[in-house]
Amino acid sequence: MFKKRFLAMFTASVMMLALLAACGGKDSGTSGGSDKNAANGKDNVEISLWLTPQWKGVYDASEENADYDSFFKAAAEKFAEQYDKYNVKVNVQVIAGDQRDELLNVNLNGGTPPDIFFESVFAMGDFAHRGALVPLNDIIDEESRKDIAQSYWDNVTFGDNIYFYPFSHNPGTLAYNADMFKAAGLENMIGGENEIKTWTLSEYEQILETLKNNLPQDKYPGARPMALFGLNNQGDTWNLAYLRMFGNKFFDDEGNIVLDDANGVRAAEWLKKIYTGGYSNPGAESVSSNDANAMFQNQKLAISFTNAVLFNNAKADMESGKAPKFDIRLANIPSESGDPLSFTYVVGSNVFNTGDEKRTEAAKAFVKFYSTDPELVKASKNSIPVRSSVADELKDQYPLFAAYDANSKYLFNFTGNVPGYSQLRQILYPELQAIFIGEKEPAQAVKDYQTQGNAVIQKAKESSSVYK
Amino acid sequence: MKLRYQPIRESITGYLFILPQFLLFLLFAVYPILEGIRLSLFRVDYQNETFVGMSNYTTLFQDPVFFKSIVNTVIFVVFIVLLTVIFSLFVASSIFDKNAKYVSFIRGSYYIPVMVSMVVMSMVWSFLLNPANGLISYFTSQVGSGHVNLLGNKATVMPVIIFVTFATNVGQAIILYIAAMIGVPKDLFEAAEVDGASRIKVIFKILIPLVKPTTIYITIINIIAVLKIFVVIQLLTGGGPNNASVTMMYYLYNNAFKYNQIGVASAVGVIMFIITLLLSVPQLRAMFKDK
Repeated sequence: MFKKRFLAMFTASVMMLALLAACGGKDSGTSGGSDKNAANGKDNVEISLWLTPQWKGVYDASEENADYDSFFKAAAEKFAEQYDKYNVKVNVQVIAGDQRDELLNVNLNGGTPPDIFFESVFAMGDFAHRGALVPLNDIIDEESRKDIAQSYWDNVTFGDNIYFYPFSHNPGTLAYNADMFKAAGLENMIGGENEIKTWTLSEYEQILETLKNNLPQDKYPGARPMALFGLNNQGDTWNLAYLRMFGNKFFDDEGNIVLDDANGVRAAEWLKKIYTGGYSNPGAESVSSNDANAMFQNQKLAISFTNAVLFNNAKADMESGKAPKFDIRLANIPSESGDPLSFTYVVGSNVFNTGDEKRTEAAKAFVKFYSTDPELVKASKNSIPVRSSVADELKDQYPLFAAYDANSKYLFNFTGNVPGYSQLRQILYPELQAIFIGEKEPAQAVKDYQTQGNAVIQKAKESSSVYK
Repeated sequence: MKLRYQPIRESITGYLFILPQFLLFLLFAVYPILEGIRLSLFRVDYQNETFVGMSNYTTLFQDPVFFKSIVNTVIFVVFIVLLTVIFSLFVASSIFDKNAKYVSFIRGSYYIPVMVSMVVMSMVWSFLLNPANGLISYFTSQVGSGHVNLLGNKATVMPVIIFVTFATNVGQAIILYIAAMIGVPKDLFEAAEVDGASRIKVIFKILIPLVKPTTIYITIINIIAVLKIFVVIQLLTGGGPNNASVTMMYYLYNNAFKYNQIGVASAVGVIMFIITLLLSVPQLRAMFKDK
């Protein structure tokens, strides 16, 4: 009896110990770390870099095995060879754009943010306001300050500090299928191959009308004139641009939303007219920007949204046979005044405050390396280089650079640099859905958006570390 | 002296055996609940936590979307649980005494969706229901009734999600019912047969009362599962159109991970915890009373 009980107690104790040992095991961590046992006398430092899909390949999508992480893997190799302070290992991870905020918030709250994030600055500004980023002022040299135009530096400066190292920028425009235009008899509306065509608003409406009525259904079955989407916040910048079509400024000088005026309401009414009139894909309230992009590539839509990287990716997909080939060209978002509505995403790197000095130091050095290396910065040709030197060097090979440059005088700042922009994005699409499904009148939706949006901005201002 | 310590000494082995599980329970169930309650009283941002008392709860109760999420969650719970119980009772009582191979076939057919991940199921439904390039919309436009958007219509979005969730979960309940019904003593059916009772009478007077514990179990499990309905909303509707299909769990998720309002999200979690307790306790008491 006693033996049995002893055995049982012994077994239970062993299980307990095993459990405690398992609980107490130190997590080696996947996000990064450092140790001292390197053969060459340098400390080992492991850092992580996350990015959302940008361009494929190191320099070009035509490279063998080109993928979204190719550039950073190549940059990490090159960096490791020449960096003499630590042995740096970079773990590169590509994450979906619509998962970005969730992943970052979970990791930030869990104390495991990535060291570096490469992304459009507008989507990351909130993290600067929240005090989660490290200022990069000390890694920006005079030469880069001169080579990159001031407007880009303004874009990445929050309060007194620079939080992002600009790498490229990514102008947003419309893309159109010139073959479909021809099929509908719209030859006179087609711009040049290397032109970003500007239509007036009345021309644009005429194009939509003609496409709706004259597009041959045998050749393009079920095709619709233009893309419209409002499932979630992805691609919302185009929706924001449409809301400015009739001259509404969107933000006042204090950074409050001022959409609720006659012009803002007219724009919302225009969106509703396009949707209910059958000028767009059906079900805009349930369609995401990815769906719209896929429909455009499958020639189910004649006009869609695009940016420099998406445009190049679409061309690469056609070349590789992933998507049907057609004559794809660029156009501006029209406005009532006749001036195009033009915006751009500055894309760059930020460094998260991980609390680990070595990792932060290595991360900053790596960011500086690939953002300034004369060869690596040429990868910015996949969108548009922010460096004048790179743009000048490559302008003969890429005639669209000049077209994008000509657009720059029409740029509007779509974020207004307001705090709380991430949450602001979550408020727009439910209101658009309400317009599309007829639950709210456009005027009411605009009013509600402004009320809720200004409350979000106010709340974010109060807790912003930049404003303190 | 020896006598006093006897019971403790006798049961110490048992306590030691349950200790690992109990520690895990404390670590992964009790501690998060207490931490959630604590966080619901704070405003949490990246750098610090500020005590704000009940402010997160007032924020919640001032938000019409939160009330919408409660109403939607209750609708989901009521309809999905009712549908699941009624349909699985119907299927199980129809086939439990048939040929074993036939029973296995039916059971397997209904259980396949349960084995498939909810994410995969949602993606399949998403492909079917997409208004622009989905299969259902394609067929309706082919037969000339134009595009349909069941997920973009406030009147149809809830029934569609109820059906999708019910279709995915019902297999579990069918299996439990069949197992319970096979366990019902045969002599009861023989006695009913001698008395000339119809099958309907047998089902309502013998089967259903005797599988009551299973019914209670299925009801509790499904209530708790449906209260946490999330994946299907996230993947199919994103809470839309205009928050028409937002649920408490989705609202919690948005606050926690999209808006980074950890305090508000914790307050939603606390409210959900209380609702789950209120719904489960009477059922559990009924279950233990029967035993």
